[in-house]
Amino acid sequence: MNVIILSAILGVIMMYTGVMSKNKSTARYVATAGILALIGANWLEFAGVNFFNIDTRGMLEFTSFGLVFNLIILVCTLVYFLLSGKDLEEVGANAADYFALIFFILTGIAIVSAFKTMLMLFIGIEIISIPLYILAGSDKKNLRSNEAALKYFLMGSFSTGLMLMGIALLYGATGTFYTDGMYLGLGNITVMKMAGLVLLMISLGFKVSAVPFHFWTPDVYDGSPTVFTSFMATIVKAAFFIAFLLLFENAFGRMHSEWQFAMALITAATLIIGNITAVFQQSVKRMLAYSSIAQAGFMLLAIFALNNIGKQGLILYTAAYSLPTIGIFAVLMRMKDYTYEGFNGFAKHQPLLAALLAVFLFSLAGIPLTGGFFAKYYMLVAAMKNGAMFWLVIIGVCCAAISVYYYFRIIQAMYFREGADPGIQVSEGFKTVLVLTAVLVIILGVHPDWLLHLLDN
Amino acid sequence: MNITEILFWFLTALAILSALMVVFSRNPVHSVLWLILVFFAISGHYIMLNAQFLAIVNLIVYAGAIMVLFLFVIMLMNMNSDSEPQKNKWLKMAGTVAGGSLLLILVAALKNSEVQYQKVEGAQGTIGLIHNLGKTLFTDYVVPFEISSVLFLSAMVGAVVIGKKD
Amino acid sequence: MSKLIYLVPLFPLLGFLINGLGRKYLSKSLVSIIGSGTILASFIVSLMIFFEVKAPGFAPQVVTLFDFIDVAKLKISFAFQVDQLSALFLLIITGVGFLIHLYSSAYMHEETPPHFARYFAYLNLFVFSMLLLVLGANFVIMFMGWEGVGLCSYLLIGYWFKNDDYNKAAKKAFVMNRIGDLGFLLGIFWMISQFGSTDFSVVFAGADGTPVKILTGITLLLFVGAMGKSAQIPLYTWLPDAMAGPTPVSALIHAATMVTAGIYMIARSNIMYTLSPVTQAVVAITGLATALFAASIALKQNDIKKVLAYSTVSQLGYMFLGLGVGAYTGAVFHVMTHAFFKALLFLGAGSVIHAMHHEQDIRNMGGLKKHLPITHITFLLGCLAIAGIPPLSGFFSKDEILTAAFLKSPVFWVLGVLGALMTAFYMFRLYAMTFLGKFRGTHDQEHHLHESPAAMTIPLVVLALLSVFGGFIGVPEVLMKNGHQLENYLAPVFAQSTAKMHEEHHLSHVMEYMMMFGVAAIILVIIIIAWNKFSRYQKTTAEATGLGRVLENKWYVDEIYDTVISRPLLGFSSFLSKFDKIFIDGIVNGVGRLVQYSSRQLRWIQSGQVGSYILIMVTATILLFIIQFFWKS
Repeated sequence: MNVIILSAILGVIMMYTGVMSKNKSTARYVATAGILALIGANWLEFAGVNFFNIDTRGMLEFTSFGLVFNLIILVCTLVYFLLSGKDLEEVGANAADYFALIFFILTGIAIVSAFKTMLMLFIGIEIISIPLYILAGSDKKNLRSNEAALKYFLMGSFSTGLMLMGIALLYGATGTFYTDGMYLGLGNITVMKMAGLVLLMISLGFKVSAVPFHFWTPDVYDGSPTVFTSFMATIVKAAFFIAFLLLFENAFGRMHSEWQFAMALITAATLIIGNITAVFQQSVKRMLAYSSIAQAGFMLLAIFALNNIGKQGLILYTAAYSLPTIGIFAVLMRMKDYTYEGFNGFAKHQPLLAALLAVFLFSLAGIPLTGGFFAKYYMLVAAMKNGAMFWLVIIGVCCAAISVYYYFRIIQAMYFREGADPGIQVSEGFKTVLVLTAVLVIILGVHPDWLLHLLDN
Repeated sequence: MNITEILFWFLTALAILSALMVVFSRNPVHSVLWLILVFFAISGHYIMLNAQFLAIVNLIVYAGAIMVLFLFVIMLMNMNSDSEPQKNKWLKMAGTVAGGSLLLILVAALKNSEVQYQKVEGAQGTIGLIHNLGKTLFTDYVVPFEISSVLFLSAMVGAVVIGKKD
Repeated sequence: MSKLIYLVPLFPLLGFLINGLGRKYLSKSLVSIIGSGTILASFIVSLMIFFEVKAPGFAPQVVTLFDFIDVAKLKISFAFQVDQLSALFLLIITGVGFLIHLYSSAYMHEETPPHFARYFAYLNLFVFSMLLLVLGANFVIMFMGWEGVGLCSYLLIGYWFKNDDYNKAAKKAFVMNRIGDLGFLLGIFWMISQFGSTDFSVVFAGADGTPVKILTGITLLLFVGAMGKSAQIPLYTWLPDAMAGPTPVSALIHAATMVTAGIYMIARSNIMYTLSPVTQAVVAITGLATALFAASIALKQNDIKKVLAYSTVSQLGYMFLGLGVGAYTGAVFHVMTHAFFKALLFLGAGSVIHAMHHEQDIRNMGGLKKHLPITHITFLLGCLAIAGIPPLSGFFSKDEILTAAFLKSPVFWVLGVLGALMTAFYMFRLYAMTFLGKFRGTHDQEHHLHESPAAMTIPLVVLALLSVFGGFIGVPEVLMKNGHQLENYLAPVFAQSTAKMHEEHHLSHVMEYMMMFGVAAIILVIIIIAWNKFSRYQKTTAEATGLGRVLENKWYVDEIYDTVISRPLLGFSSFLSKFDKIFIDGIVNGVGRLVQYSSRQLRWIQSGQVGSYILIMVTATILLFIIQFFWKS
């Protein structure tokens, strides 16, 4: 509850900051301080200190799983602000408002990591989505940004419609919004329940860009200002996953075998299409968009498996995927040329940045000693533990191998090609944060348990 | 067939027909007008469920405010049947087939199931009355109610950001 | 105190980091102070730990630093084992290691500062890995150290990387080690599947109830690992070649520490070996064969370091013989004494090479006695110790192994004694040709002959003292009541095995005396013969014939490996390479092309039209409905 209320308040504060201060950077400082406060508040709640005592009638439940997830999200947002805050200011004249929207999104994320009723799920998802439509179109003079926003909005509304329809059907079938109270799977499974489930699966699949509901992803990620793509592809995506997982665990967990096959198909399609399409991209930004689809395929394994290892894996994945991606985007934003050729000879001119990028790419590719390895490992183990449908694990392994190809193309360009100096300027602070992020990624790869032990609380 | 049932079927048919017309009309203004008719039909359903408040709100918000906004936008953009872009013929066909299949699938699925005959209590339920609705909203559902204010606030901020001149 | 165990490997690690990272900025003297100082610090901590462990009433401890791997049921923690065995090895490694570091600071003084620092960084990393190996409380940590020393030995053998032959030697060592490591790794996997853990405590406790077949499999695989690391037949050829590295490296790695890793591992898992007699027999026979084989080769080698290298292989064979016949204490005892006298001999050889300006052929030496007095005396003591002259250290340890071998089978004993005689012969051949007689080198070399600096002679003296007196901690029962302090000290480690082993039928005292001193007497005779023969050695151009020639060529083993293994392998590999290029590459490229092709094809679906996107979504929705409603049910 701490984070939900505080981040909503912080959103309002950010709006006022925009009005009160003429200095552009003020908003960034306030926002960073705000994130730190949120991390503190979340930690306090984790330790059992609640600022607000509100009777939610069981609509929200703050579990250690949700709180740890929130912690990771908030830390990722902090890293994001520190690395890309400056670029965010340069998108338009409304930096403070963008920060406000991001804080509202954080409210939504805190809600979807704790929801116990469909109502809260819906509100949370919408609080996340609507600011995103705006952020996607924030570069108003750029036609592609406009297109991205409109596309995202249109298709997002479509999926929202499906979600509402699904919720309505489930409500009609069970007479309650509470995920626990639905007792799905106890009685016989009627068409209404099943249809509701399928619709929810589709709409959430859309949000996490699962194939074949992913088509908006490349266009929107590519068209949006890069700084917001970075946010959308990492923090927000993870948030939708947590909603997906919690919903399917709480509401549909008891009829797991009924929908498992469909989920396996979606997962397999996401893995295959995401990875294969990423291979052919020429722009690194677009490649990262497809890579986010490919990684979503791995995260879907957690929902497919629906066991404890999968849940742990999702926590790990959130950190091990978001941090490197934010780091890569932060560097990418400073490049003039978004193609692979733009990275030619990067290692010579920016040895430190190149090395850090390499670490991040290793993590995304799932090379051991980086967080990405354990994240993928946990996902595959979860799927194997599940017992059914072993072919999915094989597809996962093959796709992990394919992914090495397109991630390593950047490394190859950086280290083994000659190229002109990209002439990018980075401050010492930026480098420091990036180094710390890389260190975090490596710590996750060497010793993931410290994060997972938090879950035991 | 009593009068309630006649009304029900009439409103249902009206709603579906109007909805189809929204899609099929070439002129966007006509589409909007048909859409307003859809809303009226739905509001009629609400009234039959003894949910007068919802019926009125539906009319005021959707048929009133939103549709007027739509009309303004359409008129400002000067859209008419001529400026509508020609869609790919194949896409149209494919769309029809896909939509039709979805319908068939749903029908087939529903055909197999034993639909529970829980008859709707027309004009008897009291939950839709403003008194009860308000009570529920501010007791059981007060938290989501308050939180949805964040949703609207963010939408408002977004609207301002999009609309503001740089 | 044992809580501070992590300090022991930490110091060398720090030394490695400082020297490695600061190699361009640090001066040579600073590098050597850091390099040696860290090992000294480790030695002091080890000493304190040793005294704590030695105190009566000490129970073995496992110090867990953090959880390393925690997957499903498998839990492997980064933990250190503190008990009698590891404490003893700590002392040997850090003690001998420190002396060798000290020696290196003088021996390597010709190197430029960055390379000098690189050398010490490698050396420190090596000591760190070795400490990890003996400290690990489970086989995985041990394996990490195991791999670490393998890597360091590769780096150190190839230290002079500009010489192509040295690089080849380094590669050979690495590949041979890798073959062994594969066995070790498989053993660990089997162990995990059998016991669900690699912790010593769990595995050893569970070993008793495990079927002998499985234990035999696991122990044989582990022994393959030991064969690679401890240079046993057939994986021994890397060790003589490894003499390409700087001499102190040979002393540290290829005499005192790394090669004993295999013995440590088997001694550590003694209970598993005790329970599988087949493996024990394999270990004993391999050890004995290696001991004899390597000793015979050493008889005709002319490179001072090669002789010592084959001697090392041979002595390692003795240790395995000891392990194979169940004389675990004897094997560990021999590891210790061998560390003293072989390090001494290598360092002495280094001193000679240093004085001779990198001349290593003993045919070109002779008469160095008067030029290098300290080196001469210490080297002589080393030779006496390795030959097994009472009461020097080698006598006691070798005697213990041979006695245990006799109890197992007199044939073992006879062959073992034969090896010991050969050892005495080649060692004194080496000694006599190097230090006695007339100088056979060039005048230029003679002119420059000089005793080495104090930093090199002090380690020699210390090691000589240890070689002479080190054996007194293990005096056999028959000579002195309670003389075998080492056995008492190590008893807890081997308690499980001792309990399992059959009733020992003791030898009569007369028999034992006879064996002990009879052998010593024959050895003495051999020494005198060798002394006489080779102190009058003259350079000849005559080619050796018959057996001598075979021995000179090391039984043609390298050549045999080359024809039997390398050539066919190369042929096979060139076939494979063709196969690979045409067939596998075809498939791989085909898959790659397929991926690219489908990637390109998939792009047109991404048309940018919202309408078509939604169309596909609807289609997918239909499919999902069909699956959910009709397929599954």
